[in-house]
Amino acid sequence: MSRQIFVNLPVADVPASAAFYEGLGFGRNEQFSTDQAVSIVVSDSITLILLERDYFATFTPKPVGEPRKTTSVTVALSAESRGEVDDLAERAMQTGASTANPPQDHGFMYGRSFFDLDGHQVELVWMDTAAMPLP
Amino acid sequence: MNRMIFVNLPVSDLAVATDFYTGLGFDLNAAFSDADCSCVVVSDTICVMLLTRARFADFVVGAVGDASTATTSINCLSTQSRQEVDDLHHRALAHGGKPWKDLMEQGPMYGHSFTDPDGHVWEVLHMDLAAA
Repeated sequence: MSRQIFVNLPVADVPASAAFYEGLGFGRNEQFSTDQAVSIVVSDSITLILLERDYFATFTPKPVGEPRKTTSVTVALSAESRGEVDDLAERAMQTGASTANPPQDHGFMYGRSFFDLDGHQVELVWMDTAAMPLP
Repeated sequence: MNRMIFVNLPVSDLAVATDFYTGLGFDLNAAFSDADCSCVVVSDTICVMLLTRARFADFVVGAVGDASTATTSINCLSTQSRQEVDDLHHRALAHGGKPWKDLMEQGPMYGHSFTDPDGHVWEVLHMDLAAA
């Protein structure tokens, strides 16, 4: 089995955040979801786990970060096409996200980014690797 | 193509951070690495992008956070075996990582955790699905 990643993020309102990510078209793994944490299946190998902030706090001895104030991580997801980048970004905007950075268009690479309901920065990137300039 | 994820992390010393992640056994993708950024290939769908704090700042709107003082994400990687959990934990501590939580053993789950040199938290987990 190929390696899986579980990205655990603190959120203020679990049902609202779960609805936001489900609105992007991702499914929910009920087996690993509770009132305090919802498991959002991005792909076979990628899962986002949205944890209520107080519950997230039980997993760290340090204060829970405030993504609206400082950014310690950004998560980029690849898309199949420029259209899918736009589609996901538009869906995000319609369900409560705000734009993080202006769209990045480098021809062979196209990206948009948003802040989710808690201010976590998510990027959507399409790349035409065949057309990528060599370094 | 399967969807890929790039976990982008700010680091204070790119060489130190890169040594840590390659020390875990992961390769670099040279095509996506430069003086300000190392692209660590965890699997064919998972990459960790290590960016100097100055470079990371170019991609974010507000201030760059400090993972050593507050925790904003915890990333967990699955492993093939309990042995691989132990092995990754051992390698992490041998390459500049710091201990995080105690070994976790709960039914079919066996996991350990550590931070990278900048304080970004990682868990490594084996789940014995046959026993779950």
